[in-house]
This record gives sequence, structure tokens and C-alpha cells, in this order.
Amino acid sequence: MTAQNQTARTLRLPDWLRIALVGRNLKFTLTRIVVLVATCFVVFNFILLPVRIEGGSMLPTYKERSVNFVNRLAYLRHGPQHGDVVGLRLAGPHVMYMKRVIGLPGETVAFVNGHVLIDDKVLDEPYEKYNCDWNLPPVKLGADEYYVVGDNRTMPPQYHEHGVASRDRILGKLLL
Amino acid sequence: MKIIFRLVMLTALVALGVWLWTVLFPNPEKVIHKRLVALAGTVSFSSNQSNLARLAGVQNLGDFFSADVEVDIDVPGRVQERLMSRQEIVQAAVGARSAVRGLKVKFSDINITVAPDKQSAVADLTVEARVSGQQDLIVQEMKFTLQKTDGKWLVTRIATVRTLSILHFEPPRFPSIVLI
Repeated sequence: MTAQNQTARTLRLPDWLRIALVGRNLKFTLTRIVVLVATCFVVFNFILLPVRIEGGSMLPTYKERSVNFVNRLAYLRHGPQHGDVVGLRLAGPHVMYMKRVIGLPGETVAFVNGHVLIDDKVLDEPYEKYNCDWNLPPVKLGADEYYVVGDNRTMPPQYHEHGVASRDRILGKLLL
Repeated sequence: MKIIFRLVMLTALVALGVWLWTVLFPNPEKVIHKRLVALAGTVSFSSNQSNLARLAGVQNLGDFFSADVEVDIDVPGRVQERLMSRQEIVQAAVGARSAVRGLKVKFSDINITVAPDKQSAVADLTVEARVSGQQDLIVQEMKFTLQKTDGKWLVTRIATVRTLSILHFEPPRFPSIVLI
């Protein structure tokens, strides 16, 4: 036995540790890692965008600093619906607003004493827990426009980012 | 074997040439991107920065703008500011540095469109700003217009972009009755 072989034997890891680190078959383990990394890259860059929530405009539904995902495939077959929480892009997808859709294309949206009126009918909003006293004149939405607003409407409307968003700004629906 | 070696060498030489070309003659998008990132860094300042460093930062800020730069910032409920020259920007920066302890500005999603003559460009981006001591992150979509002057890209106009617009709809009224 040469000195080199002896060194190799002494450096060899115990079987249980080798299996724990690289698996029974190194080739399969490497393949699995490559597939997992590729899948994660595609899923988290193009399908489920991970987001960290900053600010309290969606309180109490979504707390600050919580983590969520924007599902970009949610609106492939149909458009956003009343009550959907969506991610809206600004200049790009790295920073987005998270808002609730309350008005759909063609509808007229108004706020009267804190209640949302869609085409003069009160919109049922079970998610709205805080008191709101907003009074805003009606807004008629165009063919490709949605009215979005946060759930926390305790502040005066001018301090709350809300309004009309075009369809191309809506990146997807919140997953959780 | 010799042919393979020569092919590898040729490929490496071509790659080196392309890399050198991009370093020596970078495309305008890259130059503008770098300049905007540098601008965000210059606007930012921290609470533990010395007065001298702050002053230097303010003086450097002027280098990014043309003399007749126009800044129109309208963030409802937060800021409404209209500045009409480089001098006014520098003064506003001095004011900001004395009003708040620190400011961290970052530009995200920078989309640059260069005009066909490569002498002007428009950059649409998201500004992320955090004021020291305040919890809220300020985000605002903005449009920067740049002009190439003496080989340098200078900002000539900054304007806020309304991500969510509100156009109030006036319901149709009955025609007014004229009493004769």
C-alpha cells in the first residue's frame, strides 16, 4: 500500500456522513440540485414573485414586514375581480403597490361616508375592519381600468395611495 | 489538435476584443444607468456623516444637472415641489440635509430609452427613499429626461409619474333652465 492510498483512506468520510452530504449517488444528487435551482429560478422570477410588505395601507389584512407571493398566472383566464388583492408595478416589478380591487372596467366608483358605491350600489367589504369616513366623487372606469385601494382607510384619502390603475400595471394576485 | 487550440485562442481573442470594446465605448444605456445610480448615492447621506462630507455631497450634486433643470415633484400628501434651476436643487439639498438626520435613496427598475440621435434619453424608474428615524419607505415612480452635453449626460427634467390616477367623473347634469 502506498503512502498516497493511506492518506486517501484516512481522509475518507464515514458512510453515513457521506450519504448525508452528497447522497448515495453523487451524479443523481448533482442532477437534483441543478433541477431544484432551475425550478426555483423560474418559479420565483416569473410565476410566484416573493414580496415583503412595507407600510400599513393593507392593515389589518396584511401586517407590515410579512412575506407573501404575487401569482402572475392568476389572471391568465380571467381578469381581476372585486375583492382581489393585487400587486401593481411601478416602473418595474421590483417595487410594487399591494392594493385591493374594488372597481372593474366600465363601473362607476364613489365613496360616500366611507362606503364604496359601485354604480350607486354599496359594495360589501367584509375585509374592511376600520372606520372610514371618506367622501369622494364618482369615477367612471375605462375599458381597461381598475379602481384599487388599501384596506386601511383610517387616514384622509389624500394620504392614502389609491385610484385608477390600468390592466398592464397589475402583475398578479396575492397568493396568501 | 493544433486547429482546436487555434480555434480556442481565436474565440478568446474575439471575446477579449468585445469586452474591451464595451469597456472603452460603453453604450449610452449603461452610462446613463451608472450615472443615475451615482446620483442616488450622492443624494443619500447618513446621520454620522461629517459636515464637510455633506457639503462635498451637495456640491457634487450640481454636476448631475443642467443649469436650467426643471424638477416637478408632486406626491400627494407628502411633497409638492417645483425647482427651476441647478442652483435651486443645490439649495433644496442643503435644506434637506439640515432638516433630516439622514436619507437613503435608491433607484430601482431603471428603464432607459435613448433617442435615435443618442443625444437625449428618458429614464423611467422607481425611487425608494428612507428618511432616518422614519419607519415608512417612500416609493414613487419618476421620469428623468437627460441630455448629452459636452460628453456628459445631464438631467434636464425630473417629473413624478402618477401610478394610480384619479380622474373624477362628473355625472351628467340636466340642462340649466333659463328663465325669461
